[in-house]
Amino acid sequence: MNESHSIWLEGPIVEEEVEFTFFELCRATGASEEQLALWIDEGALEPQGAGPQAWRFDGASLCRVRIAQRLTRDLEINAAGIALALDLLDEIDRLRARLRRVQER
Amino acid sequence: MKYKDYYETLGLPRTATQDDIKRTYRKLARKYHPDLSKLGDAEERFKEVGEAYKVLKDTEKRAAYDRIGDQWHNGQDFQPPPRWDEGFEFSGAGHDESEQAQFSDFFESLFGVDRDARMAQDRGGARGDTPYAIPGQDHHAKVVIDLEDAYRGVQRSITLDTPVLDAKGRVTVQSRTLNVSIPKGVREGQHVRLAGQGGAGLGQGRAGDLYLEIGFRDHAHFRVTGRDVSIDVPVAPWEAALGARIMVPTPDGTVEITVPQGSGGGRRLRLKGKGIPGTPPGDLYAHLNIVLPPADSDSARASYESMRQAFTFDPRAHFASDSS
Repeated sequence: MNESHSIWLEGPIVEEEVEFTFFELCRATGASEEQLALWIDEGALEPQGAGPQAWRFDGASLCRVRIAQRLTRDLEINAAGIALALDLLDEIDRLRARLRRVQER
Repeated sequence: MKYKDYYETLGLPRTATQDDIKRTYRKLARKYHPDLSKLGDAEERFKEVGEAYKVLKDTEKRAAYDRIGDQWHNGQDFQPPPRWDEGFEFSGAGHDESEQAQFSDFFESLFGVDRDARMAQDRGGARGDTPYAIPGQDHHAKVVIDLEDAYRGVQRSITLDTPVLDAKGRVTVQSRTLNVSIPKGVREGQHVRLAGQGGAGLGQGRAGDLYLEIGFRDHAHFRVTGRDVSIDVPVAPWEAALGARIMVPTPDGTVEITVPQGSGGGRRLRLKGKGIPGTPPGDLYAHLNIVLPPADSDSARASYESMRQAFTFDPRAHFASDSS
């Protein structure tokens, strides 16, 4: 293989540089529009903008929706449960990071 | 091939009711779900529990499985008896919209390759000859890099296996290699999006995107929290007491830092902006860890002895004041 002729693919870091529309987020995660709308209704995701056409989701939504899908599929959790689980997971992450900082002080 | 004891996996007797099975599965699935559990082997356990449930929740599959008998043990070498499934009819219903699950050889020899995967492929087939445009699916994959790579950016060749249907309708695995430039400043758990590298579109449809999830390999010295990086730095007692300039490794090369005079053990020194690059960049934390030199020679013992005489130092003075 000739290294000098390789093409190196580049792309943005989603969490820092990417914003999704409603449909882009469906495509990126494989979630159905109905499913995503349900989660938004429950406040599991909080897009900027008024109404589906104007909605913009930050890059971190990718991860959130993927977790929501896995929990829905594997544990059959409904939309309200998903919103609660995602909030609790965020809280656990925050507490873990804080615990680490305290332990290292 | 190894026998799988699905009842043992769920911790249930063979007489368990369908309700018991469902309840136990739900409980174990919550316990081992990779998104909920931080256990090292959570994913492995979750898959095992899932496979056990897939068989035992389905009364047809469970009856067939039970017929193999209970004289087998988990992990024992196993071949299905000839015509073991005679007289059973699998309805093949109940496709969940699962991602293509990886089941064990044991499962596949009894129940065949998961049909759901084929169904998913079939849906991609071209229909009719009217002009159409269906965009390709977005795909996801994981790539593991070193912490140092996040500081500099790194070029990686990654190989992706995609199941595809061949002309005869059999599932085969197609490999392709991508040369990817991972940008500097990426953090663990973040994603890099590669436009047009996902599933092929149909007709005029554009190809999907590929999302690469970034993981970091564990590092011998550095710990990472978000953008911040920490390292334990051993220092000699005189360096901590008198102050010193010492060399400390960072993922971006060695730097000189100043240990302030009178530093105690556990003191944390912050090197602003020496964490993972970005806007803003993270910080690097050096945790001082005072290490005693061993008293293993006459001169070393003499030095400790002279310290004993030089100080009036009671490290346990606060115990006395606590009790009074």
